[in-house]
Amino acid sequence: MAMKSNSKKLNGSSALRRMAPYLMLVPALVVIFIFKLFPMVSVIGESFMRDGEFTFRTYEILFGDRTFWQALWTTLKMNLVMIPLQIVLSFILALLVNNVIKGIGIFRSIYYLPVTMAISVAAITWDLMANYNSGVFNSIISFLGFEKQGLFTDAGQALWFIVIMATWKGCGMWMMYILAGLKGVDTSIYESAKLDGAGYFRTLFSITLPLIKRTMLFVVVANTSANMLLFAPMKLITEGGPQNSTNVLMYEIYKSAFRNGNASRAGAITSILLLIVLAVVVIQFRMLNEKDND
Amino acid sequence: MHKYDRLKKVQLYIVLACIAVVAVFPFFYILMASFRTNMEIFEYALPFTWKTLIPQEWTFHNYTAIFQEFNYGLALKNTLIVVAVLVPFVLTISALGGFVFAFFDFKGKRVLFSLCLISFMIPTDAIALPLYDLVSDMKLVNTYWGMIFPSAASGLAMFLFTQFFKEIPKSLLEAARIDGANWLQIFGRIVLPLSVPVTITAGLMVFVNEWNNFFWPLLAARKEEIRTLQVALSYFSDENEVFFSYIFAGAAISAIVPVLLFLPLQKYFVQGISSSGVKG
Repeated sequence: MAMKSNSKKLNGSSALRRMAPYLMLVPALVVIFIFKLFPMVSVIGESFMRDGEFTFRTYEILFGDRTFWQALWTTLKMNLVMIPLQIVLSFILALLVNNVIKGIGIFRSIYYLPVTMAISVAAITWDLMANYNSGVFNSIISFLGFEKQGLFTDAGQALWFIVIMATWKGCGMWMMYILAGLKGVDTSIYESAKLDGAGYFRTLFSITLPLIKRTMLFVVVANTSANMLLFAPMKLITEGGPQNSTNVLMYEIYKSAFRNGNASRAGAITSILLLIVLAVVVIQFRMLNEKDND
Repeated sequence: MHKYDRLKKVQLYIVLACIAVVAVFPFFYILMASFRTNMEIFEYALPFTWKTLIPQEWTFHNYTAIFQEFNYGLALKNTLIVVAVLVPFVLTISALGGFVFAFFDFKGKRVLFSLCLISFMIPTDAIALPLYDLVSDMKLVNTYWGMIFPSAASGLAMFLFTQFFKEIPKSLLEAARIDGANWLQIFGRIVLPLSVPVTITAGLMVFVNEWNNFFWPLLAARKEEIRTLQVALSYFSDENEVFFSYIFAGAAISAIVPVLLFLPLQKYFVQGISSSGVKG
């Protein structure tokens, strides 16, 4: 809602005064346009350029390239497991730390701890801890009576072990958002649900979840964009291997751009990846908003 | 919801404690391993006993080595400089921007706001190649600003501020207008003092994002004088076997800084998110 400058005390050039508020928006927009949106547009532009000419050739080559399809499948496969896993776990964690009992603040902080570790630091240290001969994970695994496992070095396990690591690191953050949502729910509504004889799960699904829908939407969208573009573990631990098993689209972009100097290919894959993320986010918006109309 | 019997309480504590162990274990192991020699880490790996976890001969050598041989102190300083400039910078421009988005109507507002939303969904990593060309043209490679500007180009903080400001009653602002205050005064005297929790939340988020930033500094600030902690740490790992214990020491330091920052601010964090309209 626009606010009219209706004060008689104000004088001077009124045009400038009317402009003044909008000037406050300028610094943020300038930074975002120059350092985010401009490079983004040039990535997309790059994908249509070869030898200074506009062409769809890069996409034609890409769509005939098996490595690309494999990387796409790996990305989707990983996220189809990781996103629901993280959302459900974060929700459970949030419910747990929403209990009003002594010392709950300490648990809340502890669960948030992994978020504060840099993803690169987590990747490097988890790599050492997963070492076949001297890593502590394998010490524990053999202590529990199992064979030692390859973890990051096993083609069948690497991707899923990255999922475990990312989940360990990520859930605390989403838990905090969901907790904030739960704190905003008026508790008297639970009392009346109880009086009406609704059980725990009934209350959870038909009262709590719909009430924190906006929070959940934000969490699902932010989680999706973060996870679809996960890259540090592949760069630092597995280098897309073993046997390309962790070669996600982000890593394929990195290889095209910085190992093979193929800017058009990198641009094309980036554009496709961004399109996928955008599509998924739009679908999520639709789905969560539809529930609104029930 | 708030009455718990004894048995339920005990069960709850057990579950909470088990999860806490999983969350904390890597931190604990890293910290312990940072006080042992490489030899020790290998020697007691198998079989798994308490010796696997607790140093047998405590040593401080890893810490002195990374500071003396690998200049880790400089990396720590660089990281702190970047964060100390970035966080206030982002908070300032985002709060100003959020103020406009929340209280004014103008042509193209929806489009601009959507672009800001898109900007926080696209990480710097995805646009690293053209961004590098740009930053290089601006002669910002291997400078602090070369790290700060791309990180500042995220609408996340502005989004949070906008949502929060929308809940401030407009009548409050109208009253100040009639008293003759200009917009900057209204912003500084009325809006900002109400915004402490959301400012802390946004600040922490900017901080955590920057802390996770790895690929961009690795590209744009690889010179030793300007390297950040995360980048410096990855240089220990080139010769994996040799520097095991150094990496743990470096990781321990880089893990402790945000913990010290976060713990005292924890309660504001939840408050800040609750009040910023991301709530249900």
